[in-house]
Amino acid sequence: MTSVSPLPGTPQPPSSTPAINPSTFQFPPIHAFPPFYTLQPNPTTRSSQLSSWSSLIQAYCRHNHLFSLTLADALSTPLFSNTTISRKLSLRDAKAIVQWMTTAEGGSRAEWIGASGKGGKGGTDGEGSGRCWVYWRRPEEWAGALEEWVERTGQKGTVLTLYEIVESDATRREEFWGMDAELLTKSLQICVKRGKAQVFGGEGSEGVKFF
Amino acid sequence: MDRRRTPGLSSLTTRGLQNHHYTAHGTVLRTRNAETLQTQLSVFQSLLHNFALTHAKDIRANPAFRAEFARMCSALNIDFLASSYHKDGKDTKAGDGSIWAQLLGGSVNDFYFNLGVLIVEECRATRTENGGLISVSDLRTRISRGRAGTIGSSISNITDDDIKRAVESLSPLGSCFSIMKIGHRSLIRSVPKELNIDQSTVLEAIQLLGYVTVSMLQLNLGWERPRTIAVVEDLMADSLVWVDTQAGENEYWSPAFISAVGAGMG
Repeated sequence: MTSVSPLPGTPQPPSSTPAINPSTFQFPPIHAFPPFYTLQPNPTTRSSQLSSWSSLIQAYCRHNHLFSLTLADALSTPLFSNTTISRKLSLRDAKAIVQWMTTAEGGSRAEWIGASGKGGKGGTDGEGSGRCWVYWRRPEEWAGALEEWVERTGQKGTVLTLYEIVESDATRREEFWGMDAELLTKSLQICVKRGKAQVFGGEGSEGVKFF
Repeated sequence: MDRRRTPGLSSLTTRGLQNHHYTAHGTVLRTRNAETLQTQLSVFQSLLHNFALTHAKDIRANPAFRAEFARMCSALNIDFLASSYHKDGKDTKAGDGSIWAQLLGGSVNDFYFNLGVLIVEECRATRTENGGLISVSDLRTRISRGRAGTIGSSISNITDDDIKRAVESLSPLGSCFSIMKIGHRSLIRSVPKELNIDQSTVLEAIQLLGYVTVSMLQLNLGWERPRTIAVVEDLMADSLVWVDTQAGENEYWSPAFISAVGAGMG
């Protein structure tokens, strides 16, 4: 379910392990509203419901430091089910919500993992896998955050490994700590496109230099 | 004495004289009356002035006191909200436009107008969720929670009474906003729509549990099934209820209960 890989080198897991935090995440009142778990037939209500779900998913992932969700596994987590009122979202509805989040109307706050094309109908295979990125920050925003971090810590011109960026103690307090390599690469590519960074090295041992 | 009325010319002059006297006396009486009223009014105003001056702080800060003050004013047929509509125009002349604007520095009027603006904002923001029908208490929590920082502390302790008054102060903008009573709850309607009797009845029934089902309605209201379904579908089409299909029989929930169930679950 989580995309945070286990880290043998870190003595104490930071506050990003989902098992620890759901208790502290303050669910919005609507999470305890039974009809929230049934997609509403009325289009107006539905769009309100979808945006409520979208902000809930984003807030939850941000809180628990999740960068992606596997819907089939996530359905039984407190995010998509509320045991107090014994309601849970169906896989079909969860997919519909994520699908909505991927659209421009949903603010492109999600993307199916494994989708072949961004704009086309490549969503079928990605949707089939039921795995998606949750962009509580979009890749462009992550790129900005990375640039800002490099600027702030005076590491311009230094060669950084991807491991250093997302898994070292130095970035423990940064929001991008623990990010999937794939998403990191995606974000770095945006930095490259902006002419702010250069990525080199082979698969598994990439380095990046900001300037 | 000669009681015979003379039909001569002299009678014309006497009558004219009499008429004149009557009118003159009438005018005197009227002016005196007006003067007395004027004095009374100014005495009353100065008393109210003193009262407001000594208690201005309380009026602004204490919601209960503000409500009492507003109630007193409305009992005396003084609309201190209305009186400030002319504030800008008259301030430039004699400065006697709104005594309330003078007495309280405009802050009580402004308080209600600010609140009115917040109400409009909240109603618009939640319209897709609740179809333009929001309970007064829900609105109050939303405003005091979400906006406390923006306007200032005075807006954070508001009462239902303040909200009602603020909604009334919106009436010059058209009849879009009004307060309606369903069951024991007051709701603010921000869409120009009239509910029919059946719809009101169902909404009233929803207030009890937070939801209704078709069979519940049939049982309690003695309605035919098609009629019940039609009403519920209507309400759903207006976004006034949300459907929950995971409970066996479809439950129709009022979005006004989103915050209520949340609070109940802790």
